[in-house]
Amino acid sequence: MKVSLSAQHIVKHYGGVVALADGNLTVQSGEVVALLGANGSGKSTLSKIITGVVSPNDGQIYLDDVPVSFASPQAAKRAGITAVYQELSLVPDMTVAENIWLGNEPLVGGIRVNRRKLIQQTEDLLQHFAGTFQPTLEPDVMVAGLPPDERQIVEILKALSKNPRLMILDEATASLGSQQVARLFELIEQWKARDMAIVFVSHRMDEIFRIADRATVLRSGYHVGDRQIAETNERELVSLMVESQANPHSIRVQATQADAPIRLQVEQLKTKTLRGVDLRVRDGELLGIGGLQGQGQTDLLLALFGAISYHGHVTLSGEPVKLNSPRDAMKRDVAYVPGDRGSEGLLLIRSILENLHLPSWKRYGLPLDMRAAYAAGERSADNLRLVRSSLDAPVNSLSGGNAQKVVIGKWLLRDPRLLLLNDPTKGIDVSTKGEFYELLARLCAQGTAILFYSSDDEELLGLCERVLVLHDGQISAELQGDTLDRTHLVAASMGFAQEGDIESD
Amino acid sequence: MNQINLQRISLRHTYLFALAILVAAIAINYYHQPNMFEIRVLNGNLRVFLPLILLAAGQTVVIIGGGIDLSVGAMVSMVNAILVTLITSDSTTTEVILAILAGCGAGMLAGALNGFCVAYLRLQPIVTTYATSFIYAGLALYILPRPGGSVPSDLARLYRDTPLGVPFTAYVIVVLVLIWLLLRSTRYGQYLLATGSNADAAYTTGVPVNRVRLSTYVIGGLMAALAGLAITMSVGTGNPRIGDAMTLDSIVAVVLGGTRLAGGQGGVVGTVIGVLILGTIRNIISFANVPTWSQTLVDALIILVALAGPGLVRLMRGQPVFVGAIWQRLVRKESA
Amino acid sequence: MTTTTLNSVRRLFDHVSPPMVALILAVILFFAGGLINPNFVNVTQAINIVRAAAFLGIIAAGQTLVIISGGEGIDLSVGAVVTLSAILVFRISDGDNAMMVPALLVALAVGAGIGLMNGLGVMLLRIPPLVMTLAMAGVVQGTVLIVTRGQLIGDTPSLMRRFIASPLVLGVPGVVFLWILVGIGMWLLLERTNYGKQLFAVGVNRKTATLSGVNVPLVVIATYTLSGFLAAFGGFTLLGFTQTVFLNLGQPYLFPSIAAVVVGGTVLAGGKGSYWGTMSGALVLTLIDSLLRALQLQQAYQFMVLGTVLVLLLSVYGRQRTLRQ
Repeated sequence: MKVSLSAQHIVKHYGGVVALADGNLTVQSGEVVALLGANGSGKSTLSKIITGVVSPNDGQIYLDDVPVSFASPQAAKRAGITAVYQELSLVPDMTVAENIWLGNEPLVGGIRVNRRKLIQQTEDLLQHFAGTFQPTLEPDVMVAGLPPDERQIVEILKALSKNPRLMILDEATASLGSQQVARLFELIEQWKARDMAIVFVSHRMDEIFRIADRATVLRSGYHVGDRQIAETNERELVSLMVESQANPHSIRVQATQADAPIRLQVEQLKTKTLRGVDLRVRDGELLGIGGLQGQGQTDLLLALFGAISYHGHVTLSGEPVKLNSPRDAMKRDVAYVPGDRGSEGLLLIRSILENLHLPSWKRYGLPLDMRAAYAAGERSADNLRLVRSSLDAPVNSLSGGNAQKVVIGKWLLRDPRLLLLNDPTKGIDVSTKGEFYELLARLCAQGTAILFYSSDDEELLGLCERVLVLHDGQISAELQGDTLDRTHLVAASMGFAQEGDIESD
Repeated sequence: MNQINLQRISLRHTYLFALAILVAAIAINYYHQPNMFEIRVLNGNLRVFLPLILLAAGQTVVIIGGGIDLSVGAMVSMVNAILVTLITSDSTTTEVILAILAGCGAGMLAGALNGFCVAYLRLQPIVTTYATSFIYAGLALYILPRPGGSVPSDLARLYRDTPLGVPFTAYVIVVLVLIWLLLRSTRYGQYLLATGSNADAAYTTGVPVNRVRLSTYVIGGLMAALAGLAITMSVGTGNPRIGDAMTLDSIVAVVLGGTRLAGGQGGVVGTVIGVLILGTIRNIISFANVPTWSQTLVDALIILVALAGPGLVRLMRGQPVFVGAIWQRLVRKESA
Repeated sequence: MTTTTLNSVRRLFDHVSPPMVALILAVILFFAGGLINPNFVNVTQAINIVRAAAFLGIIAAGQTLVIISGGEGIDLSVGAVVTLSAILVFRISDGDNAMMVPALLVALAVGAGIGLMNGLGVMLLRIPPLVMTLAMAGVVQGTVLIVTRGQLIGDTPSLMRRFIASPLVLGVPGVVFLWILVGIGMWLLLERTNYGKQLFAVGVNRKTATLSGVNVPLVVIATYTLSGFLAAFGGFTLLGFTQTVFLNLGQPYLFPSIAAVVVGGTVLAGGKGSYWGTMSGALVLTLIDSLLRALQLQQAYQFMVLGTVLVLLLSVYGRQRTLRQ
């Protein structure tokens, strides 16, 4: 049965933050439309509005040319629209089968759940991905114990079980292995032939060019254009996604002195996801960490900050250390800037001042010398060019870029010797990014050692002179000089270490 | 492979550990009171346990759904007051039945108020039900300012009776468990667990989370009313403070039975075992000649140990009792 | 429909700080009392109200800290600790002024010990605070029974009556000045110490706090310990007023201590609040109590009104995130 959906001029704001100012999307039976946009572009918000999870402030959705509005996810499902998110809808304490059929269970006599049929139907669905997952993935297994890729498969099957007319895949391939992605794309071709409409939200260019027919681009909450995939290329799409200002990546941090003291040395570092990592960072060096998300980068940084347990040898400033808590790391002048600043880096409802001084109040005596604290806070805010009304304003009144400055400011007040950065520029506007790069350059010039993980390949390549690529918990490549380019980075991210294996652009 | 099977079974049947404890407790009780299995003694015990079993069963449903209800004890008092006011020793059967219906209605209304506040006004369950407990306790005092009243002897006799040699109360417990097992096997049972385990995921999946939450509190209220009925039949009189101690007991019984306070798993079977454990231990205390003045403390200490149980087990399982281990828990999410 | 009305009421409140709102409410209630009973509004009565509120206020100090610490923090053992502390001072001092200070020290140590156990149970054994402190209250109550065996022997040192309950300066009893000192101390603790700043952080976001070097378990355990300590102090002051002890001395202060904190604008979720708010809240609750008594309402009505008032307050102040945005 043919279907067509058109979302027009959708507006959504959360309090003072505008997530969508003018969102548009059209899709029809038998086509795959890619929904593209940088972080903060509103693409996730738009997909949540189409599936009824979030209600829009303005705009209209037309389903089969009839105006509709979804009051709940249930309403959208009844209309034949389902979505696959990244782990947004699985219940940990229930089995695979129970999760897939939640709300849709086969019943005996209209009352009791038909357990046997439940398992049977689940096994039928699992067949779609047969051969791409471990034998431990069975209908009767608790979801809580599954690895991320298998959980993602369960999510996909769950959406499929509803026989949707329109399916939205929202970053659904992020946790999948390449074999599973290939199988998914085969399935998508089958679904297209059966008149399903598919929206593919992703930031992975290669996948988009493999599977999509059309691309819709959002930027900062606005719809900026549509293109036929066959008639466009990656560069054009990227230029639509990113504001055309001066490329901030033109800053390259000065080369490290070869004889600068080694600030950090790591041997055979092992955690739950790291399988033995060695590295070395000198004073004044900006060492990049790259690779696809979830390959152990966060673990690496957290372990070096003493926030998770690890095995292996860590030497700081020449002394072997065992870091059991963030306090241990802080005592040795290590600082950590988390990627998710809202939930890990900031106290959202507290003031800027309090956020800045959270690790450092002890320095201000008893009772706290507030005048000194304010003075130090103002100095720090000025140095960072923080746009603010007053230091007493709550930090959640700041824009993303300014909020991130507070997180960094918090640590800079302590003069760290080793700075661990976990994807710090995610979701930040371009001008702030530029300021941030200048800051990093300044810090390196002053002799601070920096370990910098970024999910933005361009950023890594532009800033760092040396990049370690993590894949599957290990370092798959060390890129510098000749090998420091996109091709090698992407190859190493996928696990290919040798040159010549990949065709260059 | 064997390890996975063991894990699966223990997750499916969270009450197995409690069952083991119950067996141990019964053994100790038997040592102190060799006649405990005589029908007369057993009946006497079950008559005391039944109100708490009913109450804790309702609490179980609320907790599995992700909430908690601190007003259940006050609801028991309220219903007890209502019943004793509406029924006298001369009441006819119709009057009794109407009174019981009124009591159940009151319990469900009270539960609905709690549920409305938690599910629709999004108030925090703990403090809200603590506040409403004062409303219901006040109502109980208003309806019955002083202990008193009586019930028809037929009613009291029914409660004590042993049809076909088995105590009436035992039938009630069996029916309760059967109703729970039926409920658990329906789609509603799935909704209940999903809501308690991860309400956001359940909502995205289309589970009517608000209605499910409301329903758990209404069930809790109904069970509190039935507990009030049971206690009225058992004691035969009214006391506006009769339910005071039962709230904490109901929570302890749920925890003892293996249900997690955070919700998302567990069941009434475990709770029944939990109540039996509590009751047996209290029997042991009285038979083991613990001095009167110390009994309250011993009872409270046992409750504390029971609550500490799951936490202690987790601590002993290898995670060092070290502040460092707590960092990891705070920084990392638990699942995979 | 109900939610939009509540939201507009909430927006009204947003512009004035919650402690101020509570204070204004208290003043309104005071004069409202005059409408019922013209003898209600005079200086003596005002002093009586403030004096009664002082006890509640001191007892609610620890509760304020615990609620700010977040993590569903609450201390339901406060009532029992008040009782135990008063009984200990009563018994140990036995009316002898010289023994007052040692008796107080013992009571404070015991209170702190109970709080410490609460903190350990909550943090190490991961027992939810509500359940842990409720169970602890039972243990304390049981201890009270053992200590007294039903017989309440002892006496109150006269010094306490003089400096706590009797008028000291300008007809104002000592406890009011004590309360003001506690208020200043609490403000210093919350706003001018490292502990205070860390406490707010722990209440807002424990992950961020940990990743910023805060020793979260230590802060939480210290907070519950302080709560027990302050409750014990509250029991001591209460004894100075009642001059005698009974098994249910502290219990009537438990629920109002929570209500006072909430009325004063401290968020139940933690991370935000002040003791000034609790002080205003204590005044409000004491006034409600007096009004109910002036109306000669029975305990039944008092219970119902208290419960309803708190639910209404929670509806305005204490709403959580909705599932659908």
